Amino acid sequence: MFEGINKIGDLEWEVPVGYVPDMRVPGRFFLSEALAETLEEGAVRQLANVATLPGIVKHSLAMPDIHWGYGFPIGGVAAFDMAEGIISPGGVGFDINCGVRLITTPLTEADIAGKMRELIEALFSVVPTGVGTKSSMQVSNKELAEVMVSGARWAVERGLGIPDDIIRCEDEGAMPGAETGAVSAKARQRGMPQIGTLGGGNHFLEIQVAEEIIDPEAARVFGITEGQICFMIHCGSRGLGHQVATDHLRVLEKSLGKYRIRIPDRQLACAPINSPEGRAYFGGMACAANYAWANRQVIMHEARKVFAKIFGIDYDDMRLIYDVAHNIAKFEHHDVGGASKEVCVHRKGATRAFGPGAPGIPSEYATVGQPVLIPGSMGTSSYLLRGTTMAMQKTWGSTCHGAGRVLSRSKAKKEFRGRELREQLAKEGILVRAHRDSVLAEEAPGVYKPSHEVVRVVHETGISGIVARLEPLGVIKG
Amino acid sequence: MYLTMSFEELDHTADVLIRVRGATMSEVFSEASRAMFHVMYGPCEDRGIMRQITLDAEDPESLLIDYLSELLFITDVENIVFCTFDVDIRGTRLSAVARGEPFDPARHAGGALIKGISYFDLAIVKEKDAYVVDIIFDI
Repeated sequence: MFEGINKIGDLEWEVPVGYVPDMRVPGRFFLSEALAETLEEGAVRQLANVATLPGIVKHSLAMPDIHWGYGFPIGGVAAFDMAEGIISPGGVGFDINCGVRLITTPLTEADIAGKMRELIEALFSVVPTGVGTKSSMQVSNKELAEVMVSGARWAVERGLGIPDDIIRCEDEGAMPGAETGAVSAKARQRGMPQIGTLGGGNHFLEIQVAEEIIDPEAARVFGITEGQICFMIHCGSRGLGHQVATDHLRVLEKSLGKYRIRIPDRQLACAPINSPEGRAYFGGMACAANYAWANRQVIMHEARKVFAKIFGIDYDDMRLIYDVAHNIAKFEHHDVGGASKEVCVHRKGATRAFGPGAPGIPSEYATVGQPVLIPGSMGTSSYLLRGTTMAMQKTWGSTCHGAGRVLSRSKAKKEFRGRELREQLAKEGILVRAHRDSVLAEEAPGVYKPSHEVVRVVHETGISGIVARLEPLGVIKG
Repeated sequence: MYLTMSFEELDHTADVLIRVRGATMSEVFSEASRAMFHVMYGPCEDRGIMRQITLDAEDPESLLIDYLSELLFITDVENIVFCTFDVDIRGTRLSAVARGEPFDPARHAGGALIKGISYFDLAIVKEKDAYVVDIIFDI
């Protein structure tokens, strides 16, 4: 471990005040010795930079998938005092409400054997992926305003889903506080033709099998059984969210002097939560977050129709377990010094993991805590976890979001050949579909930290509990 | 000694980090945009589509972010892939002409979708005989 960082538990580390100048609180992160081998010093510096921001409460935190990003590290979590604190797009990222949803089907591996190629091709043809793709669904400017306020509900009211879908989304698929006036004409122009598109990078739609149930009671409550075929959708708010982040970052950057805020990295540009600039960012970010929930709802609808057609199963028998955001800022109540206090929690590459009985989770899941979805990389395990009381105490009800990269794109392209990788995965029984094989090399399983180790750390520290392990059978890539 | 204008991809685990060099500030901007489109779409040809951009910002780094963000916006809404860029910088004022072709899935799909341009460690530095800047593209 780097000099100056203290081990404070088996899997917990502290970055003391003074690691970088002007820290207001210490940093803390969760990591095993094995994962520590790939930790970048830049990521720790970014964690420490977050601790310099005004109004930060308790600690600047990072989950075990911590890695070097911009502004906050990826895997970063921080809460800010509502009166003294700030809100920052650097604590959310450009892809506002990038997130994941998991859907079960009544099918088993035997049911889909021999039909996987047809399934993957059908999904690839109805869910636009990658750069330059547009949706077959074009919404008007007026409708877009409804999307930005109502999120997943907008889609369900249009017949693109069932009412139960809404209650099985974080924030019921629409966070409060959306201010459409804070979304520029440019962002709207980008958003109108992109609802129902996956986007690029590490986004995917994956067919999975529930290979192992680790926590039978929670699995029963979540409605998942061993051997069940599921599908997982990982994507965000597309060009609309990217533009909202870009627009507000510039506004906040210009207002730093006005609020006498000194920051060590311009990507941490921020404003007081209750300032006009801070409120405008939150209102715009909420619009983008709601757009992302609508986007994932539409993609799920298209995928359900494909499954129903190919396998002759009922649309309503494909049950959404949950939908989680992993790039977001929210106002939440948490225990601070024995009293419930409202704070602004930023999660950048981190997932909400509220424990049993916490407000804001579906009543059907209240006894076990909320479902948490951790997508693996192409060809590796994904996990269904549950939130815990420990997460409420230690991490503002947060946990990891994925595996976290260890290899750059350029190195990945040197080490892996897309075509060979596709063939290798096919031998392992995993079908992959993308526009080009080169995309596969950049997202090869070997470029990510092992997801099982990241999940082991959050399980053993108690900030989440493993419920089920899901293995990939087929994937369409962005 | 290197060519007056160039870009190279450096290692960055999460995103795309590009080092851009140019003999002048205008060349740095031009090359930065060429790099961005190369990452997103690969090779491209000038087939007569042209867009003009004029911008003003408080400092060169903000101007660079605004310029690249404007190009991201245009490519996203108009489906244009740009390949040549004539950029003129006067102080913190930019005027640019970008030329390219319509997006063609057969030739342009499969690149990395850039979500935004990061301010992190962004500084246009004057070296002995060139301007140099490292840019992180969020993908």
